[in-house]
Amino acid sequence: MISFDVDEKLAQQLERVRTLGREFLRPLGIEADRKGEAIPADHPFFETAWRLGIGRLGPEEDEEERPRSGERTAARRGVVLGEELAYWDRGAAVALPGPGLGAPPIRRMGTPEQRERFFAPFRDPSRPRWGAFAMTEPGAGSDVAAIRTLARKEGDAWVLDGAKTFISNAIRAEWIVVWATVDPSAGRAGHRAFVVEKGTPGLEDMRAEHKMGLVAYESASFTLRHCRVPAENLLGGERYYESRAGFKGAMESFNATRPMVAAMAVGIARAAYDAAREFAREHFLLSRPLPRHRRVAEKLARMARKIEAARLLCWRAASLADAERPNQVEASMAKAFAPAIAQEAAGLAVEVMAEAGVRQDHYVEKLYRDVKAMDIVEGTGQIQRIVVARRLLGYPASG
Amino acid sequence: MIDLRLGPEEEMIRETGQAFARERLRPAMREHERRGSVAAEVVRAYRELGFPTMEAPESFGGQGVSLLSKVVLLEEIGWGDAGAAFALEGAGPGLRALVELGERDLCGDLLADPACYLATIVDFAGRIAVREGRLEGRFPFVPASPKGPVVVLLPEGIFLCREGVRVSRVEGCGLGASGASEVSFDGTPAAATCRDPAALVRSVAHARLFVAALLVGVARAATEYAMRYAQERVAFGRPIAHHQGLAFLLTDMATAVDAARLLLWRAAFAPEAELERLSAWALAEAAEAALFVGPNAVQVLGGHGFMKDHPVEKWMRDIRTLAQLAGGRDEAELVAAECEAR
Repeated sequence: MISFDVDEKLAQQLERVRTLGREFLRPLGIEADRKGEAIPADHPFFETAWRLGIGRLGPEEDEEERPRSGERTAARRGVVLGEELAYWDRGAAVALPGPGLGAPPIRRMGTPEQRERFFAPFRDPSRPRWGAFAMTEPGAGSDVAAIRTLARKEGDAWVLDGAKTFISNAIRAEWIVVWATVDPSAGRAGHRAFVVEKGTPGLEDMRAEHKMGLVAYESASFTLRHCRVPAENLLGGERYYESRAGFKGAMESFNATRPMVAAMAVGIARAAYDAAREFAREHFLLSRPLPRHRRVAEKLARMARKIEAARLLCWRAASLADAERPNQVEASMAKAFAPAIAQEAAGLAVEVMAEAGVRQDHYVEKLYRDVKAMDIVEGTGQIQRIVVARRLLGYPASG
Repeated sequence: MIDLRLGPEEEMIRETGQAFARERLRPAMREHERRGSVAAEVVRAYRELGFPTMEAPESFGGQGVSLLSKVVLLEEIGWGDAGAAFALEGAGPGLRALVELGERDLCGDLLADPACYLATIVDFAGRIAVREGRLEGRFPFVPASPKGPVVVLLPEGIFLCREGVRVSRVEGCGLGASGASEVSFDGTPAAATCRDPAALVRSVAHARLFVAALLVGVARAATEYAMRYAQERVAFGRPIAHHQGLAFLLTDMATAVDAARLLLWRAAFAPEAELERLSAWALAEAAEAALFVGPNAVQVLGGHGFMKDHPVEKWMRDIRTLAQLAGGRDEAELVAAECEAR
């Protein structure tokens, strides 16, 4: 049944995110951008956030994912809150503690023992923790089937050799879900997911990448050199992979996260719109009958309309996910559409402010740099179109 | 809680509308276009389903059905033949204006005669002037039956003209089934007038959503047809849909149609305070999406697309024509910009 309203619980969560965003995420994001350094892991804000339960898994965490009774709402809450977090600062939001993108594969593929063991640190209130997810390699981005990090079984352990890059929060992570292959010629069938814990010998050369935007969180690259991982850290256990489920597990977690990343693009676009609109009001750009100022109003209107259209695509993908209906096409449509309009909106916001728009002391300048990543992470716009084309056009898997 | 899936009532209306579009409109599409009118039995069948005034208040023969249900239905009708929609509906985009004017009897009269339907003019560009309750000016194009009354939506208010209007037949780019007319006013008296600004906003919004829903329907039809064709047509050893240049274009077309539909639903659900802006967005987005889809659907079919053997050339013309109605894309974008400046 069509509805565009948030329920009471979500309204309260939104209010909390707004407070957090206004007081911490936005100022910390700007500060990190100016300094050119990520927010340090020992920043007092993270401790405060952790104490408040942000990123921390509660005892009811699994319940939220799949409630025993009543309507499942996790996906819709995810897109609404994701948009709001990114509105305040997407970089600072990704820096927040928690298992991050490592959570979905552990939740979907992990044995009960593994879920308990790897999620336990995230239930501990004493200090903030991070998790990470490592698929991308220097030579394998969109073509995830082409990963070359090698996994060999040696006695009661797996030995990993390879390199990963652009991995969010990896340096400070308790563990990293690392994707490797037991047979590079086998494509997806050879894929295995391992939980590599902090301090494992052979997890080396950890270094932070320098990014154009989204400076507030660290993206890291690292090397796995004869890195021995206990056999019990193979996610799901060996039997899990007998049915080619490995790659499917990773791809399913993308279906869950794509609408969320798309919603974050919507949040950045909305921040750009608000900044441009505020600038236009402060400078009386909307109240003077000059042709240039008419263009300003038109640009704001276009931004507002496209933001709403993108938001609705995210909400649709999430509605289907909560109803446990297939949403691959809708998730990828949202992820193809939203970052593109967010890029356009950030550009229009810069134009509304004319020369002032490219000054680093104006927020839209930062947004213009930040937003580009949204069309790249979690599958580029091109990959999303291939996913849609496979479903709607029978586009070949090798295409 | 947020939910973008249709409820059972809207699904039922959608299915009935789809069946009507598939069985009654599509097969007769070229015939209706050639004749410049819709067969009387098709009009009667549509009206017997109770569709034309279903979103009006009960005193106007309505069934209190939501505006959302109406736009869901109109998308299906647009998918079948957008040109036929005006003749089928009777009051069509002008229905809300008639409600605001309190014209109960006229609503009934329009439904009684399958050859009669209302001409709805939306003019915010100063082509029609009002002086002392009389209308002056010439409006170049409107899908209209030559014998129908005319409702005119102007910045000053809503005006209904029954007599003293010169309606002369013109040929249009698209929407052939409803025929097209130039409408001239020469000191024409208004038989009824409403100068309530809120009523005007509601009436214009209704007209915009009517056109936007048809645009979404035609754009969907063109996208589906191009997708099917591209999977059958082989070039360079594979279906053309499996060349990335076309695969990406087709997925962008499908996404644009879906985005436009969602904004349309949003606007059909709008509270009154947001109706002006959201209805303007809905029309602007639908027009932008459809104008992207129409010519590209022809392009996907190449030379075949240009020929009348395939429907995509008709849909491209229908889209171009629809996108000029109810103030068109420009007016919708201007209104949205004015909302920003408030």
